[in-house]
Amino acid sequence: MQASLPSPRHYAARKRLQPWLTNGAMIIIVAVLMLPIALTLATSFKRERDVLRKPPVLFPCDGPDGQFRLSECRFDVEGYERVIAPRPDPKAPLGFSLTGRMFSTYVPNTLLYAFASSGLVFVLSGFAGYAFSRYRFRGRRELMIAILAITGIPLLTNLLALYQMAVDLRKAGIPGYDERMFIIAVYVGFQLPFSVWIVKSFFDTIPRELEEAAFIDGCTPIGAMWRIVVPLAMPGLLAAFLLCFVNVWNEFIAGYLLITKRDLRTVMFGMYDFLSQNIINYQVVAAACVLIAAPVVILFIFTRKTFFRAMTEGAIKG
Amino acid sequence: MATQAQAASASGRTERRKIRQGGFFNQTLPFWLLLPTLLVLAAIQFYPGFYSIWLSLQERQGAVWNFVGLRNFQRIFDSAIFRESLGHTVVFLVGYVAVTMVASLIIALLLNRTLKLSGVYISLIFIPWVIADVIAGLVFGLLVVPDYGLLSPILSNPALFPPNGLSIPSDPAPRPWISGFPFPPAPAMYYLILATAWRALPFVTLLILAALKTVPQEIIESARIDGASSLQALRFITLPLILPTLVVALFNLTLGGMNGIGLVFTLTRGGPGTATEVLSFLLYTIGFDRLEFGRAAALSVFIAIINLVLIVLTLRVARTEERVH
Repeated sequence: MQASLPSPRHYAARKRLQPWLTNGAMIIIVAVLMLPIALTLATSFKRERDVLRKPPVLFPCDGPDGQFRLSECRFDVEGYERVIAPRPDPKAPLGFSLTGRMFSTYVPNTLLYAFASSGLVFVLSGFAGYAFSRYRFRGRRELMIAILAITGIPLLTNLLALYQMAVDLRKAGIPGYDERMFIIAVYVGFQLPFSVWIVKSFFDTIPRELEEAAFIDGCTPIGAMWRIVVPLAMPGLLAAFLLCFVNVWNEFIAGYLLITKRDLRTVMFGMYDFLSQNIINYQVVAAACVLIAAPVVILFIFTRKTFFRAMTEGAIKG
Repeated sequence: MATQAQAASASGRTERRKIRQGGFFNQTLPFWLLLPTLLVLAAIQFYPGFYSIWLSLQERQGAVWNFVGLRNFQRIFDSAIFRESLGHTVVFLVGYVAVTMVASLIIALLLNRTLKLSGVYISLIFIPWVIADVIAGLVFGLLVVPDYGLLSPILSNPALFPPNGLSIPSDPAPRPWISGFPFPPAPAMYYLILATAWRALPFVTLLILAALKTVPQEIIESARIDGASSLQALRFITLPLILPTLVVALFNLTLGGMNGIGLVFTLTRGGPGTATEVLSFLLYTIGFDRLEFGRAAALSVFIAIINLVLIVLTLRVARTEERVH
């Protein structure tokens, strides 16, 4: 007999037990990782006097006698109200206008920057990805490696030069120049390299025979790209768009340093500014965090498959 | 069949030749397709890169820039604040990369065991990655505000953290073990490491998970039948097979950690004192608080060189050549 091998019964028991143990471990890990988000949500729905209690309470549900009762819960949207600052306005479509700086200025600005730069990235990475995927030309290999190398370069080390460029451009007095153009160009420049790689790897998966058939039917290269390759590679192009959108929405330091006009600043500058203005109103800060993080989190949840595919296909990996 | 395929490919070839012969625009199409991308990259990536090098060799006196050679580099490398910051960066990077790699590997190994809920778990774990670093800093900051933060009852408990409990935003670093190297760090540094790892962990988990999926199960099963324990199978089969991915993840994390600044901005602002002033934040302080552009440019060139080394190493390990084709 081979005594060292586990008996079949023992093995079967382990097989049955293992999914439970793994699931248990995963649930604990997910709970720990979600804790900061849950606590922020809890804080954002408190009232000011419940936020400023010593010791802090997680659920403000204790009555005057200190007993926990559900009926005593004092949850409130005061924090959210102070971020949004709605004011009745008969002319506005919803009957009130949003007067908080966050929603009257920073959110529209950031939406503009995010849509403009993601749209440009979508088009430019589509062109470049198609050229890299379908044509063999001199210098192609070197160019692709150069672009792959740039994907690693972070904004930080270029920041001083970009700041100086922004100053020079403002002084130059180019007619029609606007700070917004420069910040959008910066965002495009930093999102483009990675997007080109994602889109190229999606184009690579589309068989060439499809285009060749179109050529035989008299299609021009541009026509074949537009009618056949682009629709098939749409998931990749959308991934480039979404990734760029989320990154621009979350970007802080370039928006903070390169934009001087307060009316043109971005959401993350607003968040940073909020901290100094609401030094003890934690429920307001928490509510702002929830409101500003929610759009990208929701966007991500609905499009997560695209994100995952893009990241595993486009990432520099072994 | 074979002749048919040959005929088809031959006709394809003539078609392609026809396209190549057609008009100047179609002949040079890849150039026109690449041109806009190359122009943007030249303006936003290459030009500022060289501009930074130029700036690092200049000093501003009034309105004019004077060439000072390598004096900016000498001044930054000689300064005490740079050496201290370099120490903080090393402590931060080692801690954050180690925490992230170990946690991601464990989570990826668990998720690789084809669970019914794997998709749900990975989606939830990924949420921190979508949350901006500035917001992550605010969220983690709110938790440890002395007296009012929701974690403060645990942190200020003297039984858990003798002798007086812990205040992350304000407790200074203990006496360093080796003079001149900031270890052990201030509590704020541990906290900064945890917050940064929280955001970086999802991406690395996904990378490792994708690599784990490519490890053939048959090899592991046959090793198990031959009597290898699951730890041995992990150590001698799985880890060597996913090693390139682990190394790429390591370099990626180091690169991200070197250059991350948003979280430092809202979580610690380099404090208490200068206890969490890493190089990226020092660059901001010198360049935009003290407005010493030449010195800051020298520091940014120094960081850029480290970045380039990391990128070149990544490209080597990631076997780029295969992916170019």
